Amino acid sequence: MVDVIKKKAKEVQESLFSSVGSSVLTIGTSYLVLNFFRGMFGFVMSSDKDWLAVLNNMQLYMVQAYPESDFIRVWISVGLTFVFSGVSIGLWRSDDRSNISVMFDRFYKLGLGVLFFTIVAPTFTSYMGNDGYVITEEVFSRSSRIGMLIPVLLITVGFFLLKNRKINFSFNNSDAVFLYLSIPIALIWIIELPTIQLDQNKDRIIPDPLMPIANTTKVPWTVIFVLFLLSYFIGIYFKEVKRLKNIMSISWFLLPLLIFSWIFKKPQIEMAEVLTGDIPIFLIFFAVGLGTVLLINNPIVKKYYSIYIGVVIVATIAGVFISIPMLAKACLLLLGLFVTVVPAVSTSQQGKKSLIIIWAVALVTLTFLLRGGASETGIVVPGSSIFGGFSLTWLLAIFGTYVSFPLGVLLALGRNSKLPIVRIICTGIIELVRSVPYITWLFFASVTLAVFLPAGVEFNLIVRVLMVTAFFSGAYFAENIRGGLQSIPKGQYEAADAIGMSPFQKIGLIVLPQALRAVIPTLVSSAITAFKDSSLVTIIGLFDFLTIGKTVIDNQSVPVNFVGHQRENLIFVAVVYWIFTFTLSRRSMKIEKRLGLGER
Amino acid sequence: MSIIQAKGVKKWFGDFQALKGISMEIAEGEVLVICGPSGSGKSTFIRCINRLEQHQEGEIVVDGTELTNDLKNIETIRAEVGMVFQSFNLFPHLTVMQNITLAPIWVRKKSRSDSEEKAMELLNRVGIPEQADKFPGQLSGGQQQRVAIARALAMDPKIMLFDEPTSALDPEMIKEVLDAMKELAKSGMTMIVVTHEMGFAKEVADRVMLFDEGMMVEENTPVEFFDNPKNDRTKLFLSQIL
Repeated sequence: MVDVIKKKAKEVQESLFSSVGSSVLTIGTSYLVLNFFRGMFGFVMSSDKDWLAVLNNMQLYMVQAYPESDFIRVWISVGLTFVFSGVSIGLWRSDDRSNISVMFDRFYKLGLGVLFFTIVAPTFTSYMGNDGYVITEEVFSRSSRIGMLIPVLLITVGFFLLKNRKINFSFNNSDAVFLYLSIPIALIWIIELPTIQLDQNKDRIIPDPLMPIANTTKVPWTVIFVLFLLSYFIGIYFKEVKRLKNIMSISWFLLPLLIFSWIFKKPQIEMAEVLTGDIPIFLIFFAVGLGTVLLINNPIVKKYYSIYIGVVIVATIAGVFISIPMLAKACLLLLGLFVTVVPAVSTSQQGKKSLIIIWAVALVTLTFLLRGGASETGIVVPGSSIFGGFSLTWLLAIFGTYVSFPLGVLLALGRNSKLPIVRIICTGIIELVRSVPYITWLFFASVTLAVFLPAGVEFNLIVRVLMVTAFFSGAYFAENIRGGLQSIPKGQYEAADAIGMSPFQKIGLIVLPQALRAVIPTLVSSAITAFKDSSLVTIIGLFDFLTIGKTVIDNQSVPVNFVGHQRENLIFVAVVYWIFTFTLSRRSMKIEKRLGLGER
Repeated sequence: MSIIQAKGVKKWFGDFQALKGISMEIAEGEVLVICGPSGSGKSTFIRCINRLEQHQEGEIVVDGTELTNDLKNIETIRAEVGMVFQSFNLFPHLTVMQNITLAPIWVRKKSRSDSEEKAMELLNRVGIPEQADKFPGQLSGGQQQRVAIARALAMDPKIMLFDEPTSALDPEMIKEVLDAMKELAKSGMTMIVVTHEMGFAKEVADRVMLFDEGMMVEENTPVEFFDNPKNDRTKLFLSQIL
């Protein structure tokens, strides 16, 4: 024990007080950090602050004006995302195991942190009252300090002893995620916070009985956690089924579209439209695809196949400008992709069979999603869009990476392409998008974009913002990825060529994996930027998370008056942003470590 | 029956003419060593054989297929011609096993288990079966080059090209790579080897060629080449290298 302390002391001496300069730096920065913390603590705890302004408006923060009667849709969306995550974690469950002392060590460090802050927290704080006088009040009494100090100390020492005990018990790292998550789930049933009630005069009273935190959401969250756990076990059970992993990867791309078009929108569909529009269009396109696959080996068809592809592409472009159903336009685009792939894949009977199945599934999925997305929404939101608050921020962030990432990959590859037309177009898009500020693009989306779209095509403001966002962050992703592409030595291309790989295999199996790995840090910082930049949509009148914190709650005086409590809300917003970006960057460090295996 | 025929192959890099009309034939199972000073076009020539470089004049026929710009032809020939590079060029993000099985699985469309079995066999043959699950970055240069040989062999090539396979290696590692190559030559593989390892040339080559300034200045049997060279340029080269 004494040895351990001696060793630690020596380490501290070496790393923090090795010279006069570093000692000065250490003491100076600790003084600053400590003062900042004490000030912050006093601010958070002072009775002047009304944290109910945050707590009580959680619903507004999350979904803004989304009607309460349709909340089940929000929960289904969240639940689906968790179920998908659960299955994926199960399918890709790593075999890495950690000793239980790792977990104890984590709790021990947490305990140390709390212990430290309990000791240094200020007893008194001063703030400027409404009348202009400085008020000093006690925020952390001696009795509560001691009351906290003793249990925290006991717990910390307990974990310290546990961690140094060599207990021979290890757990799977993936399982640990669920163990850690169960802690907050348990806490929302235990920790109690005050809520607001109103008396007959609509004046607020703070009721005496403390309500558990997140009283209205604790049941859904618990249900979701259970589903999450269940889907994890399902994932583990089907771990060996290889095809399922591919299906899961594709489903992840379809999930946001499904949530967007069916769950969040509550589409209203007329049966007649489906019968006269969707089903005939589906049958026609399916027949065309089927015919293409079946006749591909016919010599006459083979001879004129390139002309056929040309006709389909021309029809796709023409289709955008003439007034045919949206679905037909999308199907034409899909057909264009399909006919270019067919010759390469349909060499064997097996390939033909899977092509036909894939074609049918793709058409059905497209029809299903478009029908939902293009229908009138049944959800009536007074005066604003159905997305607002955190759901809008989240949507923009997810979309910002989901759609723009593949777009960025394509643009980067296109910019490096040998074909001059592709290269010029891609370079043009990147340079055009990057050289104009994001805010300008947002104005473009809200005001001018409709002018550029063909007649008859109209998009909701949020969809237009999403389109602009996708291109904007896509251009940045593209430049990052291009940096990665340039870091691949020429020998890698030659080696791939020399073993007879096709250009697509070369890009997909050799070049991209290495290029993306090289630029993970910049990609993550781009994703974080996209996440934070989403708050700029306030400028065109959308209510994102930050905007709600800044304006909505502050101006809201019915039913409860929270005027003058901006700072609490802004701090809360900042903390939430920080939690998400910090998690993201931690994740990326883990991924980097895992992918960095090949490097020496 | 010759497996590679080259007729008047010429190649320019901008204004610089790297190959000034090379003509040669190689029979199946023959081991050909090409040597020459740097910049003599020997690497360029063997890179033309699997079209990592394009020749501008003349023709090259590999295994009955002429090398043209037709992509399908090129891919077929590359699958038949294995190549080993001076700088190994292993894929650093894949394990040794994945490096070797990548091409059989994706290009030859073989099953994973068959490919892995074959890969193990090849690793045994080059003497490093225990390194299968390591990444290239964790191996020594000599081991990496042997993995590169195994990777090329996994495609069951008819011809193997070696582009200075030992030039980037420490002296004590050269032997292990040369041993693997000798073993390969004895098994009857058609090989073209660009190298400065004259011992290797003496021992296993059926023919030795000397390139200089984009031309083939001497073509001879190893014994004649070293003991009784026809050309003065060869004498000069040998005096400098030996």
